[in-house]
Amino acid sequence: MNYDAFRTLILCIELLLPTVLSAQKLDSLRTNQLTVRCVQYGIGHSNILDTYLSTQEYKGIDFRTSRETMRMTNIGKGNVSVQNFLQADFSFGKNRVDNNNTLAGMVNWNYGLHYQFKLSDNFKLLAGGLGDTNLGFIYDLRNSNNPASLRAYINIDASAMAIWHFHIKKTALVLRYQLNTPILGVMFSPEMGESYYEIFSLGHYSGTIKLTSLHSQPSLRQFLSLDIPIGQQQIRLSYLGDLQQSHVNNIKTHSYSHVFMIGFVKRLYKLSNKELQKLPASIQAY
Amino acid sequence: MLLIALTLICGSCVSEKQYSDTPEGNFEQLWKIMDQKYCFFDYKKIDWDSVHNVYSKYITSDMDDNALFEVLGNMLGTLKDGHVNLYSTGNTARYWSWYEDYPKNFDENIKDRYLGTDYHVAGGLKYKILSDNIGYIYYGDFSESVSNGIINDMLSYLAICNGIIIDVRNNGGGLMTNSSTLASHFTDKKVLTSYVRHKTGSGHNDFSKPYAIYLDPSDGIRWQKKVIILTNRHCFSATNDFVNNMHCLPSVTLLGDKTGGGGGMPFTSELPNGWAVRYSASPYYDKSMNQIEFGIDPDIYVSLSTEDASQGRDTLIETARNLLNK
Repeated sequence: MNYDAFRTLILCIELLLPTVLSAQKLDSLRTNQLTVRCVQYGIGHSNILDTYLSTQEYKGIDFRTSRETMRMTNIGKGNVSVQNFLQADFSFGKNRVDNNNTLAGMVNWNYGLHYQFKLSDNFKLLAGGLGDTNLGFIYDLRNSNNPASLRAYINIDASAMAIWHFHIKKTALVLRYQLNTPILGVMFSPEMGESYYEIFSLGHYSGTIKLTSLHSQPSLRQFLSLDIPIGQQQIRLSYLGDLQQSHVNNIKTHSYSHVFMIGFVKRLYKLSNKELQKLPASIQAY
Repeated sequence: MLLIALTLICGSCVSEKQYSDTPEGNFEQLWKIMDQKYCFFDYKKIDWDSVHNVYSKYITSDMDDNALFEVLGNMLGTLKDGHVNLYSTGNTARYWSWYEDYPKNFDENIKDRYLGTDYHVAGGLKYKILSDNIGYIYYGDFSESVSNGIINDMLSYLAICNGIIIDVRNNGGGLMTNSSTLASHFTDKKVLTSYVRHKTGSGHNDFSKPYAIYLDPSDGIRWQKKVIILTNRHCFSATNDFVNNMHCLPSVTLLGDKTGGGGGMPFTSELPNGWAVRYSASPYYDKSMNQIEFGIDPDIYVSLSTEDASQGRDTLIETARNLLNK
């Protein structure tokens, strides 16, 4: 957010909350209570392979939604930000001769910290780590005893980001690129010829939880987004490349999604309960 | 760290070779699927490389789908496995000699005469009390549900009987859970019934250790009187598993013909042209680690006699009734 927009935001807060923030100045605003939130919806292309179900790749359409928040923390002298990213996707794929389909769905939650290296007033690089939790499925509409594949894995990701605030004429824009890749994790996977009946009905769980790393789960997620102010709103246009791969228990999987997303950016300032109590009850909604 | 990770990722595309949708490509894909995932090569002493050499000679780039289907079906036929099928939109390649080459020992019409018209139907079970106070149950498809409630009601109704006959002839299988649910009502203690292994790698002998499978007694009614299971060569897959489970119980006798087998849990995959292929992926064994792929012998061999059949009598049912009334 550029300086002018930041001042405008502060002005708004001061107008609305004179009893709380009248003495507040820009440099004393608690930035760790200012959250940038964006909810997006997108559509794209998917390519799914799971050799537990089929030797063939299934390609089709991917629908996705995401919710992301970022704010500064008090950690590292206030140079560390926290990111909370939740996404859910659903894809429908067909094999190359279009006589069978798969359905796939995944919920992915990333939560972690980045240290912010402010290279200039408008440009910064972020580096950090994320907890990366994934739960989903692939369902083959034709198979009998191996109709579906459960996808469940948790990773620690390395993450890097670059954020650039710039102007085109008088329009303030924000460009962001982020790259996450799992370094270490655990994954659920049946063994190559093991049925889910054997795992869940007979209770043979041995060998189904595997430690993963770059050699067995070479995956990455990358985001490229552009925030554009339109009237009173700020729109975010994004490309999300979600490239998930694994080679565990002699089962190969990949899920390549390239999704274009759009959503609204909101900036929210969090007031403490103590500050809220100073507000007259008559002006509060609740 | 991120740069190292990216370098590794860029050189680590996880994918499976995508064969061309040509006769050669489909042949090679099918051969490879079976080579890596089929579970009975060594038990059946099949040289799969040799099979490749034999059948690849029949593959030509200009052959049509019907000719390709026939060659691929014949190649799969060398496995002599009822769980191995190739499915196109117009046909299903199968090996059914496990029952087609043997006497049926079952006549649907004669069975229906025993049931009459006033029998009970619940889920997949049909049952009635015969005139000599023997309960007769026919279960023709393990795909049809049998819940504990259904079985409890059935056994309550049959409680006055001296013994029961469970007829699973011509039952080609279905859900393994139905097999264990039904069998659990005939034991009052946990019983070791079988073992299972599964493929862990692409080698013909890459198997997990054997995992023991136990039959837990039902929380509902547990039948403790005599039971006779009627079998024929058309008892396959989940029915084979049910017969194996029941064979472990002291009050149960198997009567009839050897079962058809089907001791491998089938999985499905597919070829570049979209044809689906089913294959045995994990072998099941009896409680002594013997293979049950080629069937389970009965305790008492009995065949349906022509003379009885001509009189509308079922030799197997009549023999079972006599044994239960002794």
